[in-house]
Amino acid sequence: MKIRIFDIENWREIGQTLARNKTRTFLTAFGIFWGTAMLGMLMGGAEGLRGMLMRNFEGFATNMGATFAQRTTKPYRGFNKGMQWSLDQTDIAFIRRSCPYIDLSTTLNSTGASVRHSDKSTSAQIIGVEPDYFRVQLPVINAGRMLNESDDSQVRKVAVIGKNIATALFGSGDPIGQYVEANNVYFLVVGVASQTTEVSLGGKMDDSVIIPSLTMQRTFNLGDAVDGFIYTAKQGSTPASIEPYVRRAYTMHHPVDPTDREALWFLDISEQFKMVDTLFLGISLLAIFVGTGTLMAGVIGIGNIMWIIVKERTREIGIRRAIGAKPVDIIAQILSESMVLTAIAGTAGICFAAGSLAVADMLTYDPVLGSAHFQLSFSSAVGITLTFLILGTCAGIVPALKAMRIKPVAAINDK
Amino acid sequence: MIIQLNDINKTYPGAVPLHVLKDINLSIERGELVSIMGASGSGKSTLLNILGILDTYDSGSYYLDGTLIKNLSENHAAELRGRMIGFVFQSFNLINYKSALENVALPLFYQGVSRRKRNALAMEYLEKMGLADRATHLPSEMSGGQKQRVAIARALVTKPAIILADEPTGALDSHTSKEVMQVFRDLNAEGMTIAIVTHDPGVGAQTNRIIRISDGRIEEPDKAL
Repeated sequence: MKIRIFDIENWREIGQTLARNKTRTFLTAFGIFWGTAMLGMLMGGAEGLRGMLMRNFEGFATNMGATFAQRTTKPYRGFNKGMQWSLDQTDIAFIRRSCPYIDLSTTLNSTGASVRHSDKSTSAQIIGVEPDYFRVQLPVINAGRMLNESDDSQVRKVAVIGKNIATALFGSGDPIGQYVEANNVYFLVVGVASQTTEVSLGGKMDDSVIIPSLTMQRTFNLGDAVDGFIYTAKQGSTPASIEPYVRRAYTMHHPVDPTDREALWFLDISEQFKMVDTLFLGISLLAIFVGTGTLMAGVIGIGNIMWIIVKERTREIGIRRAIGAKPVDIIAQILSESMVLTAIAGTAGICFAAGSLAVADMLTYDPVLGSAHFQLSFSSAVGITLTFLILGTCAGIVPALKAMRIKPVAAINDK
Repeated sequence: MIIQLNDINKTYPGAVPLHVLKDINLSIERGELVSIMGASGSGKSTLLNILGILDTYDSGSYYLDGTLIKNLSENHAAELRGRMIGFVFQSFNLINYKSALENVALPLFYQGVSRRKRNALAMEYLEKMGLADRATHLPSEMSGGQKQRVAIARALVTKPAIILADEPTGALDSHTSKEVMQVFRDLNAEGMTIAIVTHDPGVGAQTNRIIRISDGRIEEPDKAL
């Protein structure tokens, strides 16, 4: 058998038959178009929503954990419940010594303060941290530098100020090398920082004055109390695996009931990530489910239309058979019609989905956080189109087989 | 001998089996112009279908140009039909969304002839039918006589061994009928073998031999005029 796929007549013929009933062709094509567009938009949309949520966590190490002391909820050794307590340097030293899972860690102390420079003042959160803080929180350094080991060990009175503080105190001027006064103590500004994440620990970085932890303790007379402890887990372990070491440390040193889970607050970012992942797995599955439904409806639509077309064209097919068309010619004709229809409408649908996703991406674009990735990967787009093409062609098989069984006698007897 | 039928029997199965062809013996020589006449229900259409390899028969043998036509596969039958037989139908059976030229070229398309060549051939036969100026017209833009001449061109374009015409004048007025019959006579004069199924004695009279069929049997076998 000679395949005449390159014969232009083949394509003209497909065009002619599809153009014969424009409304019907259009409606069938629309079913396919909508099916592919829907599937594409759902898949890309789920990806985008996920991106929108995930970018809230940007600027956090993904295996970060944090712990803050809270009031006790159980009486213990003569102490009432509701007792205020805090971690101290002994606990931190013990945790760092005993726990093999900690990668980076920093203590965090914070206190509210009024910050001044010349005649301007603003209220801010003063945060005392160790240098690792800047590797756990991943801030954006707008100017100057971060705090380092020497700042801490030499108890320097230096500060990295938040972007908003810098604007409030210095306007458009350069704050680096200037002094700011916080609670009557002067600090040399060495850097300006802002944070990308929406989540913040111990105050939003943009509104904070960050100083070395030792400076903080000594300057503001905090003793060795520690408000919070922030850390990242080593490769291969999770922040959750660090929790038992922390609990052991404070129950050894403080009169807190070991069974009082509420006495210390734990944050495990990796848990949040897992939650988001699970949520979006659900959304993706839903998208695929709904999309597949739409797809099936479109494909069944094609099958239906091809069936009607074959019924309508019984006589014509009979004529073709009488003048020498082989059964395989007829099958090829019907199948190629459904294939062309699917290919054109499917491609249009994917293009439409890509266009809508691009618009969604533009609308949700954030100058700081960037794109939420409302995108359809090229491979998914090709995958969707191919799936449709194959299913659409398959939908033509039953009608095509029916067409094949039409005897040429049909053309003559149908007077 | 272009067509040779020996003891052909055909029964349509059913609650009451219908024995439509009974021991048909028939031969048509190359270059003949014959008509097969009979009342409706006489079996003449079934006979034509068998001659055109559109239908099968139960017993006997049918040789078309020396080839035994029996138990052919659909593909082989289609190929033989396309190559050996040209059909002309009562209702023209042109494809109504294709131009005259495309209709005439269609059988060549199914034979895998290149586009340029089949269009040239189709044009040649349209010219022969005097319809060169109608090449781009759709069937709906042509008169009955023109349509039938397009159909004849389509039947001729594959250079078949025989033309089978089923009531070719049935849908035409008497004047146009005469024209179409003249076309057949001219073709026959050029050596084309033609078999026309009709119930119109006027048509039959213009052929060289009339095969009368009645109740599934041939009445006056091979009576030469």
